[in-house]
Amino acid sequence: MNMTPSLSSLPAVADSPIDMAGLLSLAHHPGAGAVVLFSGEVRDSNQGKAVSFLEYEAHVPLATTLIAEILAMAKQRWSLHAAVAQHRIGKVGIGDSAVVVITASAHRGEAYAANKYIIDRIKHEAPIWKCEHYADGTKEWGNNCNCHAVTGDIHKHIYE
Amino acid sequence: MKIHVYAALKDYFQPEFEVSELVRNTDELKALLLTLNDKAAEILSACRFAVEEGFIDNAFKLNEYDTVVIIPPSSGG
Repeated sequence: MNMTPSLSSLPAVADSPIDMAGLLSLAHHPGAGAVVLFSGEVRDSNQGKAVSFLEYEAHVPLATTLIAEILAMAKQRWSLHAAVAQHRIGKVGIGDSAVVVITASAHRGEAYAANKYIIDRIKHEAPIWKCEHYADGTKEWGNNCNCHAVTGDIHKHIYE
Repeated sequence: MKIHVYAALKDYFQPEFEVSELVRNTDELKALLLTLNDKAAEILSACRFAVEEGFIDNAFKLNEYDTVVIIPPSSGG
């Protein structure tokens, strides 16, 4: 039996370490001259405090649906050959990947633009939350999207 | 009505609880939740609501058998 995963079967939210090389191998395409991989990784400090690890929580069904919609929209807008995103939940250590986005297109401009679009929307909209666990034993829910303070609408976001 | 909250909202409410009062929409639910903990006012004003895995707005008519998920602002990535 062929157990090779396909792009369509990949979970958008994963509770085990992200297989970055495995995901990248799925994104190759004969029509793609550019493949861009973004990995959001855990820093060892936040706002001057030493961080021990992050813990991510998600509403998995809603996050999965939303990420699928974002990927489909990006594929259509930039005519991508592949678009992949996977976000961790659970405990993620320093230097480990918390989220990976891969985009493949004929030329690099589209792959870069689509990749930024996808990660920006995931960070602002996907029901996924991080909790910073500091070396001093304290913890803090992290840097929430605060766009509604400017837009006046919790469903409207500001992207760079 | 069952209520599920996530992330920073768990600093204000139990992760899962039930309310027996009649609430017909999300504005009424927010008002009820503030009677339980008025310190949650700021974060509740920024939350989205969902029922049956779909986001809802205040026009959605809630009923007593719904399970309402309250979604704080995202902080993924």
